[in-house]
Amino acid sequence: MTVTVAADGVAAAGWREAVREAASALVGAGAAGEGYPDACVRVVEENGPYIVLAKGLALVHARPEEGGLAVRVGVTRLAAPVEFGHPDNDPVDLLLSFCTPDPGVHVGTLAALARALSAGLADRLRAAPDREGLARALKEALPDG
Amino acid sequence: MALDRQLEILAVCGVGMGSSLMLKMTAEDALRSLGVDARVENTDVSTARGMAPDVVIGQGMHTGEIAGLAPVVITISDFLDKEGLEARLRERLAEQGWLS
Repeated sequence: MTVTVAADGVAAAGWREAVREAASALVGAGAAGEGYPDACVRVVEENGPYIVLAKGLALVHARPEEGGLAVRVGVTRLAAPVEFGHPDNDPVDLLLSFCTPDPGVHVGTLAALARALSAGLADRLRAAPDREGLARALKEALPDG
Repeated sequence: MALDRQLEILAVCGVGMGSSLMLKMTAEDALRSLGVDARVENTDVSTARGMAPDVVIGQGMHTGEIAGLAPVVITISDFLDKEGLEARLRERLAEQGWLS
């Protein structure tokens, strides 16, 4: 049900570029509109780096009305970590990105993702040897992935 | 003395739908372990200003803006750290006499 996208060894000069890359994967997959990456950057500009949910891990997202077309989750692993300016969780090497067409339909997907992260998904993603490994680990974590 | 009703808990973040939903899941797990009867909702900081929960949970950059909204404000840095949140909830709910 939830389709996933993965990118590995992505070069980013800073957090804005990293967020744009992670969100662009969703655009490339046809799950988000062209304006979604910039909307995801604005979320951090306006609200601070709270999307850095845990050590080294950011959840890139914006509101559905900013261009969410389908429920989709992506993972982007950076070639080199970037600083978000988060007081505790910098630097970030892993970005999960997600979009949804509706505030309600993604609940099951994110709940599964939260459970998987609590059960060590971030470590499994960091241990993945390549893009295929990243995609496989993320898929396994999501319902009917 | 424990509260004679369900505890109202609010998980907040900037957008109010992704990160705060994850935090809500973590909080629900922690509350289940503590055996606390609670309803956890998630929302963005602006919407939170109009609400009156018993407990607010969020990152410092948000809870700083809404201090005073609830009798208990818990600031966390890791949205996925169930054990850490459980320990904070145990301590803060006990202070209020909300843990039996």
